[in-house]
Amino acid sequence: MSLRDIIVRGRKSGQMELIGLVIIVILITLGMLFMAKFSLSGPSEKKIFTRQGLAYSTISTLMKTTVNDPSCIPGLSARPLQLNGDLLEDCATHFPPGPYSDSDFSCNNKHSCNYLQQDLIPLLLDGTLGSWNKGYEFKVTLLRSTDSTPVPVLDLISASGGCQNRERDASDSSINTDAGLVQGVLYICD
Amino acid sequence: MVSSKPFRKRGQLHITETIAVLFIFFILIVFAIIFYYQYQKVSLKEKQQELLGKRAVETTLKTIFLPELICSRGDAEPEDNCFEVSKLEKAGGLIQQHTVDYYFNIFSYANITVQQIYPENEAKICCTYTKEITKTISDGKVVPGWSNRETSLFVVTLKEDRFEGEPSYGFGYLKVEVYS
Repeated sequence: MSLRDIIVRGRKSGQMELIGLVIIVILITLGMLFMAKFSLSGPSEKKIFTRQGLAYSTISTLMKTTVNDPSCIPGLSARPLQLNGDLLEDCATHFPPGPYSDSDFSCNNKHSCNYLQQDLIPLLLDGTLGSWNKGYEFKVTLLRSTDSTPVPVLDLISASGGCQNRERDASDSSINTDAGLVQGVLYICD
Repeated sequence: MVSSKPFRKRGQLHITETIAVLFIFFILIVFAIIFYYQYQKVSLKEKQQELLGKRAVETTLKTIFLPELICSRGDAEPEDNCFEVSKLEKAGGLIQQHTVDYYFNIFSYANITVQQIYPENEAKICCTYTKEITKTISDGKVVPGWSNRETSLFVVTLKEDRFEGEPSYGFGYLKVEVYS
């Protein structure tokens, strides 16, 4: 065998090794692309749409709900009290609840804030979002003036925990009262 | 005379090596095909589920804006996410009566119910539309024939014109189940 033959054979085997290497690189790249496609696929549009729609419909329905409890206005004929317009405004005006701060309405013999926090809103949210295994956080804050810090008035968290560090959507609603701006925010998470 | 045995041995070794490399290469290709097939199968199932979910959302939206149920205010714009209780009570019968000739084209195979949560003492379930996929088995029994079901839930206001001039608003939810 001449020296030229040895050199040609060596070059050919080098080329073959290079082709093998290229194939391996292509296969690894394809594998990595597949993995990236798997890991980068985000939550479905339907899930996001449903959560957003649910947050909006829940807070708008919640705020519109009326209470027909005769115990809320003793001595007067029962008239439907709006959660947003009557009870929440009453709660904000007479906040914080205490022995020297009676609210105008006394549903179940409770201060409006306590009635909303302990009775009405948990009943509504646990009966819907809670029973569907959705996590929620409902926060109501009172902003007395533009330069004051918001005061937490109501704070409700689902039994399954809050929505911190979880994929969530929110919807809000605000009303102007004599006490200031009352803002409610509802977070919903899966 | 030069013996050709070492060359033949080296050639055989090369052929064996090439066969081994090709064998491994084809095994890799077979693995890739199996993996791709499984991936396509799963993604097809996901796509089917996604389409069904989309149909559930569309059916929910159609129900929310159904004139037979929505809270109207004369000529003004109807109220958002709101059903009138009096309409719900009447609509159940009407929808059942015209399920095949009219409502099936709107809702297809679905089950739509409205559940009242508050006021508690009047909590009721109102069935608005039911049309399930069924199949008849050998002994003549009718059993559910759907393979996939998707549920969509939406919170709604239930308006009742009970008080003079001042309507009361209850709290409930709309449950839409679609089948395929």
